Amino acid sequence: MSRSTSIMGREFGDRLVLALVIVFALIMLAPVLWVIGLSLKANAELMADTNSVFRAPYTVMNYFNILANSSVFRWILNSLIVSTGLTIGTLVLCSLAGYGFARLNFPGRDILFVAVLLGLAVPEQAVLIARHQIFGILKLHNTYQGLILPGLSAPFGVFLMTQYFRAIPKELDEAALLDNASRFKIFWKVLLPLTVPAQATLGIFTFLWSWNDYFWPLISGTKNTMFTLTVGMASTQTNFAQSEGLGFLMAQAIFAGAPILILYLFFQKYIVTAVSGAAVR
Amino acid sequence: MTAHIEIRDVVKRFGAATVIDHLSLSIDPNEFMVFLGPSGCGKSTLLRMIAGLESVDEGTISINGQRIDNLPPGQRDIAMVFQSYALYPHMTVADNMAFGLRNIGVAANVISARVAEAGRMLEIGHLLERKPGQLSGGQRQRVAIGRAIVKEPKAFLFDEPLSNLDAALRVRTRVELAQLRHRVKSTMIFVTHDQIEAMTLADRIVVMNNRKIEQIGTPMEIYSRPATRFVATFVGSPTMNFVPVRVAGGGAGGVTVTLGDGTSVKTAVPAMKLEPGEFTLGIRAEGVRVAPNGQGVTTGTVDVLERLGDRTLVYTKLKDGSVVVAEDIGYSRVAVNDTVSLSIDGSRVHLFDGSDRAWHCEEGING
Amino acid sequence: MAEALVSSQASLSSPALTAQRAPRANINASQWRNALFIAPYLFFFVTMLVFPLIWGIWLSFHKADTFGVGKFVGLANYARLFGDKIFLQSVGNTFYFVLLTVPALALLGLFLALALNRQTRSAAFLRAAFFSSSVLSVTIVTLIWRIVFIPDFGLLATIYGWFGAPAPAFLSSPDLSMIAIAIATIWWCVGLPMMLFLSALQQIPGEIYEAAALDNANRWQTFRSITLPSIKRTFILVLLIQVVMQFQLFGQARLMTQGGPNNTSKPIVMYIYDVAFKRWDLGMGAAASEVLFVLILIAAMAQFVLTRRRGEN
Repeated sequence: MSRSTSIMGREFGDRLVLALVIVFALIMLAPVLWVIGLSLKANAELMADTNSVFRAPYTVMNYFNILANSSVFRWILNSLIVSTGLTIGTLVLCSLAGYGFARLNFPGRDILFVAVLLGLAVPEQAVLIARHQIFGILKLHNTYQGLILPGLSAPFGVFLMTQYFRAIPKELDEAALLDNASRFKIFWKVLLPLTVPAQATLGIFTFLWSWNDYFWPLISGTKNTMFTLTVGMASTQTNFAQSEGLGFLMAQAIFAGAPILILYLFFQKYIVTAVSGAAVR
Repeated sequence: MTAHIEIRDVVKRFGAATVIDHLSLSIDPNEFMVFLGPSGCGKSTLLRMIAGLESVDEGTISINGQRIDNLPPGQRDIAMVFQSYALYPHMTVADNMAFGLRNIGVAANVISARVAEAGRMLEIGHLLERKPGQLSGGQRQRVAIGRAIVKEPKAFLFDEPLSNLDAALRVRTRVELAQLRHRVKSTMIFVTHDQIEAMTLADRIVVMNNRKIEQIGTPMEIYSRPATRFVATFVGSPTMNFVPVRVAGGGAGGVTVTLGDGTSVKTAVPAMKLEPGEFTLGIRAEGVRVAPNGQGVTTGTVDVLERLGDRTLVYTKLKDGSVVVAEDIGYSRVAVNDTVSLSIDGSRVHLFDGSDRAWHCEEGING
Repeated sequence: MAEALVSSQASLSSPALTAQRAPRANINASQWRNALFIAPYLFFFVTMLVFPLIWGIWLSFHKADTFGVGKFVGLANYARLFGDKIFLQSVGNTFYFVLLTVPALALLGLFLALALNRQTRSAAFLRAAFFSSSVLSVTIVTLIWRIVFIPDFGLLATIYGWFGAPAPAFLSSPDLSMIAIAIATIWWCVGLPMMLFLSALQQIPGEIYEAAALDNANRWQTFRSITLPSIKRTFILVLLIQVVMQFQLFGQARLMTQGGPNNTSKPIVMYIYDVAFKRWDLGMGAAASEVLFVLILIAAMAQFVLTRRRGEN
């Protein structure tokens, strides 16, 4: 008797949970579907009645119009250069430093490592103004270097790579030492190939972070030609309510969001580890 | 191709702790030397010092008269097989073996010839293009040995290489290692805590305990003439029996000792230089036998029987409470709680004094 | 061939010579040379992080604008800051925003993790869907949500229209603007707490649940006495990550409401941006940054203290 009620209660609970999940999923999806819908409608029709979204005719004119607008491609190129540059730079610097901290001994190593870890606690805003001044003096604003260099100081990658190198058995280094390999050769030929999973995690995280970064590109890359995609898309949003090209704007949003979503679909597992790994640090 | 290794007065400290304390040792060319001891005795540290993976704080290590303790590991012309094998996971078996040779610029055709030869010798020729992750434990073990062989080093160092294998494979690999050492003429140093490995493989055994060498000798010397009570305890299975005794004085041929239960045993230990007093008598199970028809020198009550097939180990308690393991035939008729008569072979007796010094029977009496 | 090479190398370093160069053989020795691996990163760490951090603190005690750094003014920048009603309002706004978002993110994340912690394909699909918004940039997120909230063309306006009611003016009402930003933020950020809770849930050994089932525990008892205690640590972690992250609210506010109406949705970071990069009052902007830094440090310390105390128990 009590058993059957508990099963019924269980079923009821399951259904409630399922219903709630479906509601949340709809809330997640609805805005995106709305944006997609708008992007497929001609402007004139939208201005008359937004309910026209729910009926034909649909058009891809808005997407074709993006192709005519060269700025977006320039911004995508800028974002690609900045994010790729930062990702490669971060992988190189953090791999070297991670190996150094994990395997080599030098005066002041442990204090230095703690100092780098403390760097994790510094929010970007605490260094932005001074950094902006320094870059102004060095005439680095509105250059690719100016957009890339600050990100190279992020301590997270050093922390991640150090942990990863530490987890590799030390006997491998020793076997390589007996095999007459130099310090650098041990790093390059023996250990580095084993850190590929960590490199993937760090690389994707860095790329994503850089691609979506908003504040620093906003104050450093102020010329339209030096906008990253994130900043450029923001610049088109001003006077938005009065905009007559609503469908065009939405098509642009889809167009700008699609590459990163496709990247997400392909590297979903790595991205989830990367982002939650960055959070747990 | 072979090395005479001379270790002189070597000291190793980790911080405040001394792990090797003024140790000296000479290893002959082509010798198979086993470092035997419990974990933490310093045997692996000593091996790693020879390899160059640990620095030497005091003293010197030389190979063929040339000092090597300041050379980097790669230039000592030695090869090491690690307990965990330490194969490079991302390289094929062939590349694992070739890596060290490429690093010193050996010609490609020489490398491939040596790799092929090692593959044939170790029967891993068909695995050369696989990666370590695709191999079984035993195959990895062979690759690790192959990686050492291709270097044709002056000396091979083995750091407990069999301890990661399951029991059956361990025995097989042990036999193969014994065969290998006759094919590969080189000095070999083998670290283990397993006395059977030490006994079966070694030309000589170095028994280490607590930062020091307890004894150096051939397996039979270690077994039959243990220099200290530690060596006597550590080597041999079951563990040697120890019974407190009184030495009354010498007679012709050997001293007579009195057991706790009053039994007198005539031993073959020479009386010379032996002060009468309290000693510990050590005797292996094969020296104590269950005597038929009450012909033994003393009696004990049976606590436990261990039937090993070819023989039976009989754990008995003497009248004074001391425990003695005796041996009986495979089809022993003894049962638990029986009182049995025990004979003690005086020619297999060892005596240990208060400072753990050992006194043995005359050389040659027990082979 | 190999032996010849090795022995020639060995003979190069004669015993007498090597004896004087003892550190060379000690592979674990502390050597300056080894620091070369760290040096490249360290250069950027010092020039891009440490130095600007110190400069920023120094700047906050000076009068500074685009033309350069002026005279030392002591705590005057901080005094002006705390005399500025808009700054105090932005601090209040930020705390309000944190209060709106963080508990909601944690609870919603936990609910989704519990609901989707199963091995089915639909659960995997939903997990991916709920996380997918996290990879978008703030610009796209705000674009999407503005088109939901704006009058006339917005999704909400359209839905309200079906019932013949006017939609609330989410973006232009002083009472609702922060709530609108919070809704967009929760939509954007809920993936991370969900993933963190999921990985915590997956680390609870299944045997414990089987043991609980054998002990006749019902679903609620199991949740309260097994699941909750096991993810307590993660819960604190999620709260503090979110506090630190949401304290730094900027893009959503700037792009959705421009901090308005009448500064009711202006957070601290946007205040810093306005003061430093619109009014070019760099000294005061730096002072505001240091205040934010201290607030975030307090949150980080709280995490440290909380996790430490849990470790002792």
